[in-house]
Amino acid sequence: MASVSVLSCKKVLDVQSYSSITDATAFATADRALLALNGVYDAAQSGGYNGGTEKRGYPFGSANIEQEDVRGEDVINVAAFYQATYQVTHNPSSANAVALWDNTYGMINKANVAIEGFRNAATSGVLTSAVATQYEAECRFLRAMGHHELVVMYARPYLDGNGSQLGVPYRDVANTSGSAVEQLRTIPRPKVSEDYQKILADLDFAETNLPTGTAGTAVNTYRATKAAAIALKMRVKLHMGDYAGVITEGNKLVPATAPYVSPIGGWTLTAAPDGPFNATGGANNSKENIFSVKNDANDAISVNGSLAGQFGPANLGGRGLVAISPIIWNNSGWKCDDKRRTLLYASGTNNINGTSIMTIKYKDFTNKGDWAPQIRYAEVLLTLAEAEARQAAGVSQRAVDLVNAVRNRALANPATDAYTTASFADKVALIKAILLERRIEFLAEGKRWGDISRLSGENNPAYSPGGVPAKASNGTQGAAIYNCGGVFTPTQAAIPYSDYRFIWPIPADEITQNPIIVQNPGY
Amino acid sequence: MHMRKFLLLSLVLMLAALTSWAQRTVTGRVTDASGNPVSGASIQVQNTRIGTVTKDDGTFSLNVPANGRALTISAVGMTPQDVQIGTRTNLSVSLQSNGGSNLQEVVVVGYGTQQKKAFTGSSSKVNAQQISTLMTPSVDKELAGRAAGVQVTNSSGTVNAPATIRIRGIQSINQSNQPLIIVDGVPIIQGNLSATTNSNALADINPADIESIEVLKDGAALNIYGSRGAAGVIQITTKKGQKGQLRLNYDGFVGFSNVAKKYDLLNADQFVMIANEKSANAANPATAPKAGINPGGVNTDWQDEVLVKNAPVTNHNLSIAGGSNRTTYYLSLNYGSQQGVVKSNWNKTYRIRANIDNEINNFIRIGNNITLSRQENTDQNTGTNSLGGAIASTLRLLPNVSPYDASNPTGFNVNLAANNIPNGPNSQGVDANWFNVAFLLKNNQYYSEQYRIIDNAFIEISPVKGLKLRSQFQYDMLNDYAFQSWDPRHGDGFSAIGYVYNADQNFTNMVWQNYFNYNFSVHSHNFYLTGGYEVTKARTKWLSASGQNVADLFYLQKNLISGSAATPGVGGNFSESGIESFFGRLNYDYRNRYFAQASFRRDGQSSLAPGKQYGNFPGFSVGWRPSEEGFWKNNGFLSNTIGDVKVKASYATVGNPLGGLPYLSTFGTAPYGNLNGIAVNAIGNTDLQWETSKKYDVGLEVGLLKGRVNLTTDWFLNNINNLVLNVPSPLSAGIPGNSIPQNVGTMENRGIEFGVDASIIRNKDFSWNVNVNYSSVHNEMKSLYSIAGTPTKFINNGSYNIIRVGDPVNIIYGYRFAGVNTANGYPMYYKADGSLVLHNIPNGGYYFIKDASDPGTITAANQTSLTFNDRTDLGQAIPTWYGGLTNSLNYKQFGLEFLLRYSGGNKIMNITRQEALLDQSFINNGTEILQRWQKPGDVTNVPKLIYGQGNNINQVGLATSRFVESGNYLRLQNVILTYALSPAVLQRIAGGTIRSVRIYAQGQNLHVWTKYSGADPDNHTTLGLENPGLPPQIRTISFGLNVGF
Repeated sequence: MASVSVLSCKKVLDVQSYSSITDATAFATADRALLALNGVYDAAQSGGYNGGTEKRGYPFGSANIEQEDVRGEDVINVAAFYQATYQVTHNPSSANAVALWDNTYGMINKANVAIEGFRNAATSGVLTSAVATQYEAECRFLRAMGHHELVVMYARPYLDGNGSQLGVPYRDVANTSGSAVEQLRTIPRPKVSEDYQKILADLDFAETNLPTGTAGTAVNTYRATKAAAIALKMRVKLHMGDYAGVITEGNKLVPATAPYVSPIGGWTLTAAPDGPFNATGGANNSKENIFSVKNDANDAISVNGSLAGQFGPANLGGRGLVAISPIIWNNSGWKCDDKRRTLLYASGTNNINGTSIMTIKYKDFTNKGDWAPQIRYAEVLLTLAEAEARQAAGVSQRAVDLVNAVRNRALANPATDAYTTASFADKVALIKAILLERRIEFLAEGKRWGDISRLSGENNPAYSPGGVPAKASNGTQGAAIYNCGGVFTPTQAAIPYSDYRFIWPIPADEITQNPIIVQNPGY
Repeated sequence: MHMRKFLLLSLVLMLAALTSWAQRTVTGRVTDASGNPVSGASIQVQNTRIGTVTKDDGTFSLNVPANGRALTISAVGMTPQDVQIGTRTNLSVSLQSNGGSNLQEVVVVGYGTQQKKAFTGSSSKVNAQQISTLMTPSVDKELAGRAAGVQVTNSSGTVNAPATIRIRGIQSINQSNQPLIIVDGVPIIQGNLSATTNSNALADINPADIESIEVLKDGAALNIYGSRGAAGVIQITTKKGQKGQLRLNYDGFVGFSNVAKKYDLLNADQFVMIANEKSANAANPATAPKAGINPGGVNTDWQDEVLVKNAPVTNHNLSIAGGSNRTTYYLSLNYGSQQGVVKSNWNKTYRIRANIDNEINNFIRIGNNITLSRQENTDQNTGTNSLGGAIASTLRLLPNVSPYDASNPTGFNVNLAANNIPNGPNSQGVDANWFNVAFLLKNNQYYSEQYRIIDNAFIEISPVKGLKLRSQFQYDMLNDYAFQSWDPRHGDGFSAIGYVYNADQNFTNMVWQNYFNYNFSVHSHNFYLTGGYEVTKARTKWLSASGQNVADLFYLQKNLISGSAATPGVGGNFSESGIESFFGRLNYDYRNRYFAQASFRRDGQSSLAPGKQYGNFPGFSVGWRPSEEGFWKNNGFLSNTIGDVKVKASYATVGNPLGGLPYLSTFGTAPYGNLNGIAVNAIGNTDLQWETSKKYDVGLEVGLLKGRVNLTTDWFLNNINNLVLNVPSPLSAGIPGNSIPQNVGTMENRGIEFGVDASIIRNKDFSWNVNVNYSSVHNEMKSLYSIAGTPTKFINNGSYNIIRVGDPVNIIYGYRFAGVNTANGYPMYYKADGSLVLHNIPNGGYYFIKDASDPGTITAANQTSLTFNDRTDLGQAIPTWYGGLTNSLNYKQFGLEFLLRYSGGNKIMNITRQEALLDQSFINNGTEILQRWQKPGDVTNVPKLIYGQGNNINQVGLATSRFVESGNYLRLQNVILTYALSPAVLQRIAGGTIRSVRIYAQGQNLHVWTKYSGADPDNHTTLGLENPGLPPQIRTISFGLNVGF
């Protein structure tokens, strides 16, 4: 009975939390505040699936890249992994449509909780107001990026009716109680334009308060900087068709003429097209990587979501699940001797023992430490190029120069193959070339859906895909389909922009728990 | 002088008396009403502790002290009898049966026992003897069909997984539904607790050590357990020694298990035909895969690579029981080993029990029960969608490809460069790159060992007549040491270049009980009082380590080796919880006719906010035995036919405990790569209170024909209020876990139970006893919560189930399938309004059609969709009726017993059919796919085959009526045939050194009658989903020997 003293009765109910810090002290010190900031980045990196804890890389650790590519036509879904996204059969319970929404809002609320904590910490003197404001700016950058991802995936594009379509809920207060949830249930879906306004407001705040940073340093790549906020604003304004705005923002990062080195932070293109993808262990922080989400051996996306695993060929250690499609590979606008074809792609074994062209942008097959590239300086240049091309009356020289900056480094013979203004009959031809260059340059980086969305919404027959383009059929297609400049006939039917399936359903758990949120039609 | 003479004379007389009376030996024989010997009957000299038990032939011999005037003779199932000795030295006693489970027995209740006749609650006794030799490591798997109100699902043939037990239905949505398991008065750690394998903490209790199992079901019985009574209580009492002679018993059996049912998969030829037909119908037949006939005639049934034939099971029990005047003891040793039907699935048990009970003097008793147990468990990858999933992969791997390749360095047919199986005669490998499961089962390990100590020490003081004070302390520790390794050459370990994982989990649970039992009578008013105090403290600690990029296969064998892995990882956690309880119970009876009970428990638990920690749980019950009334007893007809009747009613509240610290809002670790981080991981609710169940029960117990037939029936209603529901928050709120716990919602279970025990034939040589039980339970969600003042109608629970007000919890919810269009072979569905739509597979759109032969007009104007609102109730996930029928026949030395059990009313969503057996990838299928639509006019329920369109054709991820099947079944659960050597034969061959010899043969799970097409109607989750990954059920035949000395 001596051991009975262990159960000293007073202490029986006096139980502490030893595994989690309580909300009372989570921001009690400056060190803990920094931990909370890292926790928001973690939420951007390593969300799970179906409520599970397995890290599947939602939203930005890998999943946004995979989903946005697989929604488009420039990759082939080899196995069943991405089938619902690829074949456009999502329903309100589909795992990916749920997981992206769920994890992105999870990250947003963590950002909002942290913002509230930082403000309180500044008030109480735990943080200096400068540090608190910078941390808040980082959170608002992620919040803006999260909402933009959502509005692109779940709503009709801005250019369809100038933002008049139904957007996604914009969450900018911390939800930490049942009453906060009650309050939120009174807020209907805003218009797309309201989302864009709030995204821009967050990014303006971020631009003002983020550090300038230094290109080529790790911390200024995996944490947001002023340049990242500006670059994201360019992307957002491109979606809005605000080309003048894109140019205004772009001019902050891009000198009027080459060499193109950002006056803010010094971001620039690497000499070779594979420069942003060459670091040991995938820790890509070249001077071109403006913002990437960090992965590493300590904290990697699982085999079921990692970039190297999903995109990489099996013979190198990947799973070969997402192959490059001949729709882009065979495209005659992509020169056969383009260096990117060999530096960044390889023929390898796909998931089902066939041979496919696959990307080797992500190479850390063992530890899955490839950082997820979100914003590169190449995007800044091509986005600015498109805006310049659209704004100009004729064929814009600056646009040609900007696209050349990205393209020439990949050309086998830049002296002869580089674009000149004479290469384009009119501005439409230039814009089409820039759009194609985006597909080539950002292939397997999750940029394709954004372009399909905004261009379909713009509905200019000169460049609109008109909906989800026809694709290669799901599954392996064999090595024979790859033939630079050759013909390929996609067999999976296109889905017109007008079809309800063009945008994803709002998850059923949102609709049933928050009836004020109306479902996208058709679901 | 006179005086002296008188004294002398007196002394002489007394000496004479002493010589003749001081110690005499009384012998005798105890028989039942039919004259059969009663073995094991207790013979006790009244008012002393002197006693013995009868041998197998019913005889006994006892030294009776001088003052011993009478013997009390009692035996299980018999009415005790007092016999005056007088001058006799040889007695012949005939005991009357009390009819098996009738009102004379004792019920093991919380913190004491009660006479069954006075028991106003509802409980079921399980015959522990019947299940002690069955071939499972733990007793939970054998409870199915044996007691009314107890529903047990063994959801797979995995030997080391615990069974799912529901007592009177589902009691909670987010909290536990498993009953509390109590061994010798104290709750023990239970659950499936290993980090890498299945394991069952209840398997640390050797079924052969169990004396009795009592399942407590209603409020009157459960109230004393307060906050932990909601899901019912299973009271296990272990064996004790008897005063008198030492008994040694050996019981051993060996047996063989086989899979009860395999999946009907396509053979190689059928696969080639089906696969090529899928491809021919593909959008792009030119690039679709081609299957070819293997020139070597390969025809692999991959199930044969995973399933074992004649998996051995063996079990040895040795027990010693006995006692002296003051000490009784029961000691047992056990070794058991059972292989599951999946090659790598094993459970081994090494169990020791020592129960010692000591009377220090006439008013102090001390005792100690200790269990020492070690289990070893091995398992396999059981993931339903894991490429290495043992069962999931066998359904899909290609039958025209061999598992083996003698020329490969591994001996298996694997492509070592690219982590896949070579194509064989096909144009490509299996879709999704399912791994070579034969390689995995050979080279990957899932292993764990559990060490368990349960030590239960008590002291009991009886200072005055009728009063017992008891203090009891139990230390329960379960340590799980788990290991997992994945070979880098192929499969799950390939991309990590080998993977090793170890976890050490330590669970401790300490309980200290102090209580009293006091009974006294005033005239014919009998009072029984119980009261006490209990505290419980539980702790969980774990530590894990992992390694990727392992230097060499050498380091994958037994444990993670320091420095062997280039990418190490660690994990760990610590948590604790406590419960403090005060309880009391008063039972009253008057003349054995009128009974009443009031009980109360006050529990405090650490998981609620300070100030909200305590909850009060009262309970009341009454009973009446009209058969004890004069009008009944004096009526000859009534008392001879319906000799015993009791009616009873109870009402009580009980609770359901919460785990963790749900009142707190917390930040968990959230590292961003190698940067430490924290992030909000739970939103708490400081207003959280106890979940309470109001349990009502009305019961009737009837003994007919002098106890030969006993009937019990109960009606019950359980209202669950204040459900602690993890109220879903909108996903866009970003609340961690998308829920905040709140006390909202009400649910009810109502049902009836019916049981019959009948002694149909009772002759000297032949007896036949029948036990029948039937239960029905109807569950209904009564209310949920409100959103902005509007009551919520339903909650989605995953994509297949919803929880909807007015329906049973977790109904399967999905689209209504309308068959296959006869013109084009595409599936058709009904929308909510009943309109018929065609799912045009090539473009994925839905189009209105007139009837099943209308191929549809594929235009935007005619297009529609299947929306969330088109989903409907497809059936409920939990059985609504179940029960069992046990027949026990004895003829001379032979015994035959068989148990049939049945269950039904539930539906099963057969995801295995949907995602594997009828899938449209380049994988193998089940034979059902042979019925596919092939040409216009074909009428079938299997749509046209189109490669790559399985998700669309089968609506993967959603429930559809096409895959929802009835879960009704009847199962021949056990058949046991025994032969016991007669005492005469034993005497002849062993000269009395051997007390008993019994040999037996038994079969388990011999047959299932069901229309369910899947592996087994028990193979499903609590949501009614069958996923590929659950090993099929096993059928076991065994032979045993029991020898008593």
